[in-house]
Amino acid sequence: MFNRHESGDQEAPHNPNETIIAQGVKVEGDFVSEGDVVIEGEVTGNVKTRQHLRVGGAAHINADVSAQAAVIAGEVRGNLTIGESLELLETSVVHGDIEARILSVAPGAKINGRLTMDSDGGERGKGKKSEPPSDATA
Amino acid sequence: MPTVSRSRTATTTYLYVYDEFIQDRRYEKEVLKIENRLTDLGLAGKIARIGLFKRADELIREEVQRGLKTVVVVGNDATIRKVLDVVADEGVAFGIIPLGPENSLAQLLGIPEGVAACDVLSARIVETIDCGIVNGKRFVSGFSIENTDAEITCEGNYRVTPQEKGSIDVVNLSAVSMSDPRDGRLDAVIRVMHRSGGWMSRRRLGETSLPLRSLAIRSVQPLTAHADGVAFESNRFDISVEPLALRVITGKGRQF
Repeated sequence: MFNRHESGDQEAPHNPNETIIAQGVKVEGDFVSEGDVVIEGEVTGNVKTRQHLRVGGAAHINADVSAQAAVIAGEVRGNLTIGESLELLETSVVHGDIEARILSVAPGAKINGRLTMDSDGGERGKGKKSEPPSDATA
Repeated sequence: MPTVSRSRTATTTYLYVYDEFIQDRRYEKEVLKIENRLTDLGLAGKIARIGLFKRADELIREEVQRGLKTVVVVGNDATIRKVLDVVADEGVAFGIIPLGPENSLAQLLGIPEGVAACDVLSARIVETIDCGIVNGKRFVSGFSIENTDAEITCEGNYRVTPQEKGSIDVVNLSAVSMSDPRDGRLDAVIRVMHRSGGWMSRRRLGETSLPLRSLAIRSVQPLTAHADGVAFESNRFDISVEPLALRVITGKGRQF
């Protein structure tokens, strides 16, 4: 999954505003992007984008993550704050709290944390929360 | 022959900067054709020959004070590097008549070699583009370092560390990437080989791409880098973008 950025000798043109963190590099610190983000490598710190985030199956993120929308296939250790839709694919592992308006969880995805789904984005984080933290495997 | 201004006070609209190697006999015929074509097009101007004059940048500054509007380099990528800083500083339009080897910048700007470039000058499609700056010196196309695992600090906020040695390219204008030299950003591309599975798995190329306004590359050992194809050495590279810094005359076949 998401391996179009890591194989072959041919360079595939990509959206110039898209940030790609491929396998083979490690990112540490406050990572902020204004465009779409694809993460296949390791990230430690914070990840924030106003656009879409895709986390590949080989990615390891030790960070709080904030994005408008996200599709996750890898491992995230940190809280996920997603403005719109969050899609957790079958290989995904999340150790942290999740906030999202729309959530899709594939069979096999693992979530260890609190889940908050608030229909009012402006009140997100202040609204009622779901049940206490639990370990779950979809 | 283009008219060479004799008066110290006359206004020069066009200044043609000839590189030293253009004075070689093998370019004599092509230079003559260029000069005749420029005269036909009404684009004749003053000629400055690098190597005979004191310095190209000093001469350009003097002419700007007298009303110079356009500097045209007759030469190659290395010639452009010699005048790029002063042309951007003074805000005059910049044209190229490519002659000789290593003319990749002219290709990116859609300018044909030799006398055909005169018609591009005449059409005068002026685009304002970003410049990159590395250690205080501008570049147009890009900056690169090969075979390095140097740490990269991006916009002062986060660090990117390659796990193995690879290449770092910082692109402003390129034929192979979709980098737009008018977007106020540089595209940093880090290519590193890695194994996607265990140690038995096939090694693959990972390509990290970061649109950035500034970055810093640090290394304990001095590294050889290239900016617009020109090599230089340092163990510290401070790179930033200068948005819309250069007014450049382009051809229809420009790569952006």
